[in-house]
Amino acid sequence: MIQPLLTNSNIPHHIAIAGAGLLGRLLAWQLLNAGCKVTLFEAGSFTANSQKDLRGAAFTAAGMIAPLSEAVVSDEGVYRMGQFALQQWPQWLAKLNQPEPLFFQHGSLVIAHSQDISELEQFERELQFVIPQCKTWKRINQQQIQELEPDLNPHFTQGLFLAEEGHVHNRELLTALGKEIITLGAVVREHAPVEVSNYKINSEYTEENFDLVIDCRGLGAKTQHPQLRGVRGETLHVQTQEIHLKRPVRLMHPRYQLYIVPKPNHCFIIGATQIESEDTSPISLQSTLELSSALYTLSPAFAEARIIEMDTNLRPAFMDNLPRVNIQAGLITANGLFRHGYLLAPAIVENILAHILQTGEKNFNDLLRHHNNILR
Amino acid sequence: MSHTLPEKNFTLYGETFSSRFLLGTALYTSPQIMRDAITQSRCEIVTLGLRRQNPADRAGDAIWQFIQESGCRLLPNTAGCKSVKEAVTLAEMSREIFNTDWIKLEVIGDDYNLQPDPFGLVEASDILIKKGFKVLPYCTDDLILCKRLVDVGCEVLMPWGAPIGTGQGLLNRYSLRTLRERLANMPMIIDAGLGAPSQAAEAMEMGFDGILLNTAVAKAHNPPLMAEAFADAIDAGRKAYKAGLMQKRQTASPSTPTIGQPFWHQ
Repeated sequence: MIQPLLTNSNIPHHIAIAGAGLLGRLLAWQLLNAGCKVTLFEAGSFTANSQKDLRGAAFTAAGMIAPLSEAVVSDEGVYRMGQFALQQWPQWLAKLNQPEPLFFQHGSLVIAHSQDISELEQFERELQFVIPQCKTWKRINQQQIQELEPDLNPHFTQGLFLAEEGHVHNRELLTALGKEIITLGAVVREHAPVEVSNYKINSEYTEENFDLVIDCRGLGAKTQHPQLRGVRGETLHVQTQEIHLKRPVRLMHPRYQLYIVPKPNHCFIIGATQIESEDTSPISLQSTLELSSALYTLSPAFAEARIIEMDTNLRPAFMDNLPRVNIQAGLITANGLFRHGYLLAPAIVENILAHILQTGEKNFNDLLRHHNNILR
Repeated sequence: MSHTLPEKNFTLYGETFSSRFLLGTALYTSPQIMRDAITQSRCEIVTLGLRRQNPADRAGDAIWQFIQESGCRLLPNTAGCKSVKEAVTLAEMSREIFNTDWIKLEVIGDDYNLQPDPFGLVEASDILIKKGFKVLPYCTDDLILCKRLVDVGCEVLMPWGAPIGTGQGLLNRYSLRTLRERLANMPMIIDAGLGAPSQAAEAMEMGFDGILLNTAVAKAHNPPLMAEAFADAIDAGRKAYKAGLMQKRQTASPSTPTIGQPFWHQ
């Protein structure tokens, strides 16, 4: 896909990337493949996997690639970028050569209890409003729900099947990307909080110059984006061998919309609350009640599942909850992926690479740079 | 005579407003859409809840500031509080954070339909008014409950049209009419349960003084446009009330004589 282009002297040779979350890792990987030299700065640990570590929202995310469900709460542009993600992820993962598959496209289910059917209808109406041309979803009945997911509680009588949607085993993916970046020779500086400016990275003691700086620090860049805010999300990780789910299941409820995503080793992530607060303290009892009761109603067999992790993190978001890419001489910033990290990252990476490697592709420019207040 | 600007004669706790529309700030798909809806609603008061935002640590500052920039008066609420103690504590915290003694008081009696707990509501109103708060209670349409709230010092009442978020409209017109007649001088705002602008207009035609809602705007496909629709309906309903609705009649009576029919047959 991307040819080594370093014969072209206009392409920056040594690139600094601030933030080793999903965007930072994907960009580092692609730029290394293109022949650039990459130095990656991470405020926390590069191999973060424990909850105590400072780590990006991508570690806490459930890794759904859900363009329809997310279009319902955003807009048609998010759907378009999401469709690109569904093409891009399998191609990327094929190149990562993992022993086990990490990307799945088995669709997703949206269900509601019979007393909350109006929530399902609201979701359906919004789909028709936002993406009227989309024909890849359908209303399904009790029997069809059971055929798709036999372990779900049979009392769900109506649902929607969103055939396009997929999910990714995100933590395994982040680890695999991390290893690949190291193999390809990136310089990784962990526990290195930095400030960024055009062509420059400032850490506590030093200032370093680069041909280009890419800032994808998420909330770490808050001081440089006054409109950036954190939106609290809380998740539970449970483990049980009694239940098998092939695809993500979303439960609609008047007060909250929660989803459960199957993960390796008989694990499931149930999430996520969405609270307008930059509070990173542990999960609240109220939230554990909501998450676990939703889980229990999906199938009573979850009662004996073990809670193996409770996670809290902040989603970086602008006030319109849409992502932004800002390109200046010597500095590119990408931020505000909100709750759509795995859905939007491929489009954002494509857009940034097209600019750096001058491939002429201008995909998604209209979606990522139409915000006047950040344009120069 | 002006035919566009509403008069500035809506008085709550001694303050006067021209808009009779109060809007909630929850459930929007983004803060920007919420702000656009506030602008289009022409409202001067917005409510906001902070129960789950860890207010003690000011963790909601970013969004509160964004709401504040709308220029509207902030009316903090106690949504999510199920006991008198929780509601009183949250009201005190809200007063400190937002520097206002106005509180939209909610004491929730049922978790599923968010129905107010009338007993807890009277008790919490009493406590808060004694502490100097100006309480705007979210209540049911029960006359006796409303009288008790007036007894403890509430100067405005906010009876529901229907349970929060249902969009059912005015479920019990008889009770609401009784309330309006019996507490004729008490400012009353229909709070919750409205789904369509026509329902808001109807409440205003009945003589209610204002409308507070959230879900009907936030869950519209285009919240700013729906906010404008509600604002227009509320203005229309208010004008209709002031103009005096004609009395309904049992039989049709043409307003002009029917040509070709002798008048003694009309």
